[in-house]
Amino acid sequence: MKKYFFLILSLAVISLGHAQNPTCACFIRGIVKDQHSGQPVVGATVLLIGKNTGVFTDDKGRYEIRNLCPGTYQLEARIVGYNAYKQTIDLTAGHEENFNLEEQEVHLKDVEITAHRTDAPSSQPLTTLSGNDLEQTRGQALGESLKGITGVTTMQTGSSISKPVIHGLHSNRVLIMNNGVRQEGQQWGSEHAPEIDPFVATRMSVIKGAAGVRYGSDAIGGVILVEPEELPFNKPLSGEVNLVGFSNGRQGVASSTLQGGVKGLSGFGWRAQGTIKRGGNIRTPNYFLDNTGISEKNFSIGAGYRKKGFGIDLFYSRFDTKIGIFSGSHIGSVTDLLNVINNGEPFVKSGFSYKIGRPNQNVTHDLLKAETHYHFKDGNRLQWTIAQQINNRNEYDLHVPRNDSIASLNHPELTFKLHTLTNDVIWDHKPIAGKISGQIGVSTLYQYNLMTGRPLIPNFNQFNIGIFWIERYVKNDWEFEAGARYDYRTLSTHRIVSRKKVSNDFTFSNGSGTIGATRNFSPNLSARLNAGTAWRAPNVSELFSDGVHHGAAAFEKGDSTLHPEKALNTIASVKYASEKLTIEIGGYYNYIKDFIYLKPQPDPILTVRGAFPYFKYTQTDASFKGIDISGAWQFVKNLTITSKLSYLRAYDKRNDSYLVMIPANRLDNQLKYELPELGKWHNLYFSAGNLWVAHQKRVPPASDFLPPPAAYSLWNIQAGGTIHISEKQQLEVGISVTNLFNTVYRDYMNRFRYYSDDIGRNASLRIKWKFGA
Amino acid sequence: MKMNRKLTWMLLFGVATLFTQCKDSGDEVEVDDENELITSVTLKFTESGTNTVTSFSYKDPDGDGGNAPTKFDTVSLKANTSYTLAVEFLDESKTPVDNITEEITEKSDEHLLVFTPSPASLLTYTYGDKDKNNYPIGLTGTAKAGVAGTGKLKVQLRHQPNAKNGTPGPGSDDVNLDFNVKVK
Repeated sequence: MKKYFFLILSLAVISLGHAQNPTCACFIRGIVKDQHSGQPVVGATVLLIGKNTGVFTDDKGRYEIRNLCPGTYQLEARIVGYNAYKQTIDLTAGHEENFNLEEQEVHLKDVEITAHRTDAPSSQPLTTLSGNDLEQTRGQALGESLKGITGVTTMQTGSSISKPVIHGLHSNRVLIMNNGVRQEGQQWGSEHAPEIDPFVATRMSVIKGAAGVRYGSDAIGGVILVEPEELPFNKPLSGEVNLVGFSNGRQGVASSTLQGGVKGLSGFGWRAQGTIKRGGNIRTPNYFLDNTGISEKNFSIGAGYRKKGFGIDLFYSRFDTKIGIFSGSHIGSVTDLLNVINNGEPFVKSGFSYKIGRPNQNVTHDLLKAETHYHFKDGNRLQWTIAQQINNRNEYDLHVPRNDSIASLNHPELTFKLHTLTNDVIWDHKPIAGKISGQIGVSTLYQYNLMTGRPLIPNFNQFNIGIFWIERYVKNDWEFEAGARYDYRTLSTHRIVSRKKVSNDFTFSNGSGTIGATRNFSPNLSARLNAGTAWRAPNVSELFSDGVHHGAAAFEKGDSTLHPEKALNTIASVKYASEKLTIEIGGYYNYIKDFIYLKPQPDPILTVRGAFPYFKYTQTDASFKGIDISGAWQFVKNLTITSKLSYLRAYDKRNDSYLVMIPANRLDNQLKYELPELGKWHNLYFSAGNLWVAHQKRVPPASDFLPPPAAYSLWNIQAGGTIHISEKQQLEVGISVTNLFNTVYRDYMNRFRYYSDDIGRNASLRIKWKFGA
Repeated sequence: MKMNRKLTWMLLFGVATLFTQCKDSGDEVEVDDENELITSVTLKFTESGTNTVTSFSYKDPDGDGGNAPTKFDTVSLKANTSYTLAVEFLDESKTPVDNITEEITEKSDEHLLVFTPSPASLLTYTYGDKDKNNYPIGLTGTAKAGVAGTGKLKVQLRHQPNAKNGTPGPGSDDVNLDFNVKVK
């Protein structure tokens, strides 16, 4: 009865509106398609923001919203399992001269929505970097580019090696999905950055919080999704050329992409992309850092075919980098480290040079991936992805061996070769009653590691199988999801102890679960709540480390009796979005049982280089709780202020103490002035901003050679815009200066803070030329 | 039906590739002999005017980690006596034992030994050798014990490629040991 009443009421309102304003006869219609497969999406919600109007797509994916007054509308499409899609629709053009109710002249906009499918849990906060926000990070390393996202920071080794940190967790506790494949390198190492060229991606997303059910082990702090654009099936040739120059390090980056369909062959698409990067010594405000150059050469190629419900994609990428490690960071003993700290600046002086000498890292990462899917006519969908990754890491020490015949071989002192094969089969079942959708998947991983040189981690063979099941239910304004997963892992390790081979076998298994809800109170206001678990088996370095970690001047010892750590993460967020004001507030509590960390031992360990502080991998229960707040307010026309706050407190529950290496709280403010048109220029913007990073006060007492550095504040400015050269060619230009006032600072999460200041002023110029479609 | 067969084939192909790639990483574990270690440091004191050699050693035959050092002698000297001090470095983790002293001699322009007694009155050290640039090395020298007492002698091997200037400053420690000293 209630339903009928509502229906009648809304009809009345519409006819009332109609009667009062006879000009409202415009409509928007279109079709919602899956970007990946091109198949229509049934049951998607298409909303007009701020208008309280929404429709569902029919069985052919079609939608239509009628009786609209001329004006500008924000159209949003929401579908379970897809990223939200937003577009501004202008229905004003030409309405004055044409309008006549009698003649039934209509203003019509045919909007085809291609929705981008995401497997991210919908009740967990997902922040995506794409479009202009991504463009502004071009030329930077992956970790650096994600820094702008609330709750995401970096852990650095100098300025060229940076690893993403989500809610205080990093390395093996953050999973990176590169083009749908879990990235497998030597993630355990703090100076091992992700081996991914960000130019491959047109969107980078961060899922905050434990997402172990969908993605498997390691997704404790969160997941980073690096995704390229869908292949241009049946489209004409197009491409882009990116050029980026940085003043600091006199670094140049060039990247270009060429893509298209194949003429005469329906259903094909291909893309080729390549990047070259070259930089020299980085300069802090007062001095250069010796041997901090970088040289990178990456490329990727992809091709695919679509026919009806069937599709296949092949992808190959190669990442090849050589990174100089600041030579002043080499120490032999604790005395050496204390001497550099007391000196306040590095002993090694340098000018500018592009030369990359010792110490350095030389890393290549190859990814070969095949993905195929089939949409059954009844709505079922099967997807199978197989991928091989080969990660080769060579690390050269500062000193060559004393023995000339060995030195002449110029072998790296450390070599890791990691081969990984992953297999994922995912079945999306057909929607049940148009309300329940879900997927069941099986993932396997097989990998082996070969290591030569100074013994650090053992050789190993690892096999993992995981089975998961996730269901989502949508009713009115509510969206619920629940899922479960089971993983089983075997690990065999082989190492040399006293010139003899010692092998160990391990098995680990774990169940994970997730449950969450999303409530859309209005088109502007929504809230999400998610509780999820994730697990991580101890990695080989945690099991078997036994020696001095020179970067940290610490003797680190593994423990082969460690068991997996398990995270239970609760995350809640509220989002309000209107035309002028956007606010998102999120709070999280991540409880990690059996958190693996390095516990300081009372007595130091004696080595030939003297006594080193002794740390042993131990387990405790840790809590990570924090708040992320971000807001954007257009308070005057074209003028927007954006603020982002990341607040985190981490605690060692068992020992009633703080944890080490937890990022300090930070506040980021930007003021942006936008000009939609100015002569030839489009989307012109000017912005100025400030990043304030607090002093990390919450550290265990006497845990470090140097207390965490003071708080710092950095200013930056940006400007940019687009010129349309012709209908099919456009030029995007951007300039920026970071650390505008050349502020001297050190960051707690930069492992080189013992040795030197952080990077000084850096001006950059970006040019992007886009041509074709 | 046709599709199912296609999928089965694809699956079989996938499984086949999976297993042809299997490799036992245990077959490739090898002892690495390129990895240079210093496992043994011996101070050889020869009393002036005699042929009496007294040796004091630090030994950690398996290098850092693994087993703890097996030997760390207390240097015992006679008060107000002069000694010739020779230092020997060995890598005893290799067979045959690798003599690092020879390699240091060969690359003496990249190495500097530093002897720091504490208290300073414990012992006086004078370098007895020079490299091609006329900078001291410290593989041989003279140590003169002071009055009776106890303390420590820090022995550092500074590795200073392309940076040696006769001072301990440049480079980094390859050896940094505090020997206990007893002067009687």
